[in-house]
Amino acid sequence: MLAGAGLIFGLVMVLLLLAFRPRADTGDAGNVRVWVIGLGLAFPMVVLAALLAYGLVIGERLLPLASDDVVRVGAQGQLSTWSFTYADVPNRRTQDVLHIPAARPVDVSITTADVIHSFWVPRLAGKLDAIPGRTNILRIEADFPGTYHGVSAEFSGTGYDHFSFTVIAHDAEDWDAFLDEDIE
Amino acid sequence: MKDVFRILIAPLVWFASFSAVYGLHGLMCGHEMSGVVFGLPLERAYLVAAYVCAIAVQMVLLVALYSSRIASPSPFVRFVSHATGWVGLIATIWSLVPVVFTTYCG
Amino acid sequence: MNALERHRKLTTIWASEKGFKGWFSTVNHTDLGRMFLVTAFFFFIIGGLLAMLIRVQLATPHSAFAGPEIYNQIFTMHGTIMMFLFAIPTFEGLAIYLLPKILGTRDLAFPRLTAYGYWCYAFGGSMMLIAMVFGIAPNGGWFMYPPLSSAIYSPGINTDFWLIGITFVEISAVAAAVEITVSILKYRAPGMSLDKMPIFAWYALITALMILTGFPPLILGSVLLEVERAFGFPFFQADLGGDSLLWQHLFWLFGHPEVYIIFLPAAGVISTILPVMCRTTLLGYGWIVAAALALAFLSFGLWVHHMFTTGIPHMGLAFFSAASTLVAVPTGVQIFAWIGTMWKGRPELRLPMLHLLGFFFTFVIGGLTGVMVAVVPFDWQAHDTAFITAHLHYVLFGGFVFPIFAGIYYWLPHVTGRRRFFRLGELAFALVFIGFHVTFLAMHWVGLLGQRRRIPTYAPEDGWTAINLISSVGSFVLAIGIGMILIDVILHVLTASRGRRNPWGAGTLEWAMPTPPLAYNFASLPHITSRDPLVDQPDLAVQLARGEGYLGTPRNTWRETLTVDIASGKPDMHVIYPSNTRLPILMSAVTGVFFVSLLLKFYWTVPVAVIGVTILVWRWVWGLGRGADLAPLPIGHGITLPNAGMTARSPGWWGSIFLLTANATFFGSLLFGFAFLWTVAPGWPPPVWFDPSMTELGAGLSGAIIGPIAMRLAKSVNSKGRSSITGATMSLFGAILVAVASAAMMWRTPSPVDHAYGATLFVLGGYGLFHAVLAMLMTSFLIARIVRGFTSAVRRAEFSIIGLWVDYTSVIGVLILLAAHLPGVLQ
Ligand code: HEM
Ligand SMILES: [Cu+2]
Ligand SMILES: [Cu+2]
Repeated sequence: MLAGAGLIFGLVMVLLLLAFRPRADTGDAGNVRVWVIGLGLAFPMVVLAALLAYGLVIGERLLPLASDDVVRVGAQGQLSTWSFTYADVPNRRTQDVLHIPAARPVDVSITTADVIHSFWVPRLAGKLDAIPGRTNILRIEADFPGTYHGVSAEFSGTGYDHFSFTVIAHDAEDWDAFLDEDIE
Repeated sequence: MKDVFRILIAPLVWFASFSAVYGLHGLMCGHEMSGVVFGLPLERAYLVAAYVCAIAVQMVLLVALYSSRIASPSPFVRFVSHATGWVGLIATIWSLVPVVFTTYCG
Repeated sequence: MNALERHRKLTTIWASEKGFKGWFSTVNHTDLGRMFLVTAFFFFIIGGLLAMLIRVQLATPHSAFAGPEIYNQIFTMHGTIMMFLFAIPTFEGLAIYLLPKILGTRDLAFPRLTAYGYWCYAFGGSMMLIAMVFGIAPNGGWFMYPPLSSAIYSPGINTDFWLIGITFVEISAVAAAVEITVSILKYRAPGMSLDKMPIFAWYALITALMILTGFPPLILGSVLLEVERAFGFPFFQADLGGDSLLWQHLFWLFGHPEVYIIFLPAAGVISTILPVMCRTTLLGYGWIVAAALALAFLSFGLWVHHMFTTGIPHMGLAFFSAASTLVAVPTGVQIFAWIGTMWKGRPELRLPMLHLLGFFFTFVIGGLTGVMVAVVPFDWQAHDTAFITAHLHYVLFGGFVFPIFAGIYYWLPHVTGRRRFFRLGELAFALVFIGFHVTFLAMHWVGLLGQRRRIPTYAPEDGWTAINLISSVGSFVLAIGIGMILIDVILHVLTASRGRRNPWGAGTLEWAMPTPPLAYNFASLPHITSRDPLVDQPDLAVQLARGEGYLGTPRNTWRETLTVDIASGKPDMHVIYPSNTRLPILMSAVTGVFFVSLLLKFYWTVPVAVIGVTILVWRWVWGLGRGADLAPLPIGHGITLPNAGMTARSPGWWGSIFLLTANATFFGSLLFGFAFLWTVAPGWPPPVWFDPSMTELGAGLSGAIIGPIAMRLAKSVNSKGRSSITGATMSLFGAILVAVASAAMMWRTPSPVDHAYGATLFVLGGYGLFHAVLAMLMTSFLIARIVRGFTSAVRRAEFSIIGLWVDYTSVIGVLILLAAHLPGVLQ
């Protein structure tokens, strides 16, 4: 996408520069065909159609489609802290640390206790908002075990800059241990 | 005033149908429904039908804007109203194309 | 009469009061346009200083420059000032200054309204400044999302300043938009048909129409949020049947078109200046008009792309993603038509042209990153990061500030009648250009590295320190550049080297007058036969000064002009403008009392202010009438025209049409909000429904039927020369019925603080009541006019105008009453 944008930008700049070279005046009709219809209409429509198709296809793939090994967790934003719950261990609740298994799809149900927040772990997925009265579901997946940094990405007043959390992705063994309440 | 109307009508209708299809989708997702028409799930069938209707309306408008009975006496207004007529048609086809293949209510 | 005598005579008729006192009573578009522009640039400087503070804060990690309480106010005020107090008023000022000149007439349609708009802007803007000085400025970000901005999480007065101050300023935008629309459609030189209109007028027309349909959703949102904050009506509270997403829809339904409302006037400036800089004509005039129209329309179908991360269903996102990519096409048409114009002509690197090149370079990048964020998966990463901030500045600075700088340098000789003497401008441009790109390229980058927008501090471990420092250094270079432009302009105004007329060799009419412009613009009005009148008739200015055009002989002490048929440009009415008055400033001051009372919760002064405004409006319109018929008047070249007061489609009628367009959009947004809450919000159905009453419904509906019928009757009786008082009185009676039914609905609605259902019905009823009372006042006014002999079969303009409002009241009255009573009746 970036390369394509760069190319288009380059093209426009070259055309601008070429305008300064001395030339004889050419009539309007031919110019309209080239500039308005060719470059103004046809060219962007082709590029944009391709881009749109690409975007829609990728979008389909990010959908939280049903699948057998999905792990379900809950995330509730509340001014200055996130608390997480786990469908597999109903009375487990962690503060500011979300535990997930690595290499398995995880559906995070995002809610809020007060204002709008946004759940964002840049390396695992895009962001999704926590809106009062609603539950939004975000599919995330960590390919490898490890620690991932997450932030709240919707402005929520003072303290917004420090409003973050951590996601720990466990390998299968650790995840089982977590479910058995061995890890705190 | 009539000329202003000729110029604005097609995009206005686009805006109305765009909102209508968006609203239709939202409404259907709020109320569970089931059924199959022509091998399509009911929701998809409704959406595609609305899409086809919206395109048909735009085509009718475009034909009307070209017809000598309705077109403006001023060549300039005729040109602009033809252009906006095409805008209405293309915008309808383009902006509502997701009804054909993207997942609904997800 | 020779040219000098004519000039003297016209000057005594048209001149504003001398000295600074004249500022308060002037209704002249040149004065007010300049006042608008100077005030807007004052706010640009303030907004720019705030931007510098932001960049100081972000220059280093763990910055202790401003605490978060202050920092939140700083960036909120920066965004708010730039969007509402700089960009939109700059458009208004430019259009107000330029349009009558470029269209070949003497003033805008409603001179007193121009002044009223200016003062509302000045007072509303001052409110915001005062809040800032006292450290109680809004702090929720420029889009003020509830619940953060609701009374629970923002109990202070800060948010109220935003909601009330901005609504006050918005009045001026709507006033200017009505004014601009009617002026462009009707107030042109004879012969200027739609296809001969200067391209700037097309852009201004489209922008004004967008303001009329784009601003009402925000005004509605602000009203609802303020009512929620002040009285606890839960429009945006999920647990009581409201929905915070409703605010986001209303805000962005305004907010996205807003971006194009800012860009289109700038595009109009480009389309005007670029051909002149290239010694040619604009390529594809008709295509550009169509592209601008398409852009305006498409921009109303994009708002959800600001809400891609709110969890809207996938297909909904796909619609808006598709529409957002499509909008790049008409933008592309314009860009390439401009480059084609340059290829067609011989571009010269003069100062305005430099800024235009700055525009191309910057805006194209902004457009490309815009297309990127239209792709949903990309936006899920980029949203609410510095990448978005950088993108929006490429669009707004590239698409607005650079073209406006070009415009300033282009029209400055027109405003001052002088020549540029010092050559600071080129260096200033270089600094602005370099500084801008350093600042915001860096912000793109740091955004991709994950820096969120609106954070006051970050940690050294984040690894953003160097980039932020570079960005901040860039912003100071940029600030120095802008400072130099300011100095350059001031020096230009102060130096005494007189320039020649039409220094750029342009073809549009604003150069067919002496500069600086005279109070009356043209001593006589031109007849237009082409798009570039000065190219075909280079000595047009002299001919007009000699009185060879229309209306060349001053009559009585009238400020005269004429209007034309919209499409063909044939003259159709003769107009006499009101002259200098302090009524507008007085009325906006009283309007200000209304808003300040709401702000400070002094509710007992609210009715006082409302009555005050009513009395002033009454005086305002009363002064327009005549006690006797006026015969059609000769305007020169053997043409006679009826006076506007003696027609059915007077300027007031046109103004009402467009004001009602904005009003209907407001009402439509309210209905949308109702439907949205009903179908989408959690917390429905409400615990109790409205209890329908056949008596109330019947009374209201019959009132809604009687009003318009009686008004039509009055009109037709009047046109036969008989007394129309019965019809007018019947119409008043109809309005009273609607008022009673609406009031009853408000009275009996389920408690508006318990559920959003009752709250919405209450507001709907209030809207109905307001309009019914308005219709009562208008029909009473008409009755007073009839009694005092101000109407006759010829003097009939007021019947059509009041008829429009009566009709509108009936339509909304019926819809409102049905919305309340019908669900209960059907059950
Ligand atoms: C004079 C040069 C300018 C500079 C250096 C500048 C700088 C900035 C910065 C650094 C921010 C981001 C604060 C943050 O969220 O982290 C910002 C926000 C913003 N700027 Fe500017 N800006 C400039 C001009 C403008 C102009 C001309 C406009 C509009 C016409 C504008 C509109 C905005 C808006 C709407 C925001 C968002 C405010 C918010 O998040 O609530 N800026 N600006
Ligand atoms: Cu957000
Ligand atoms: Cu947008």
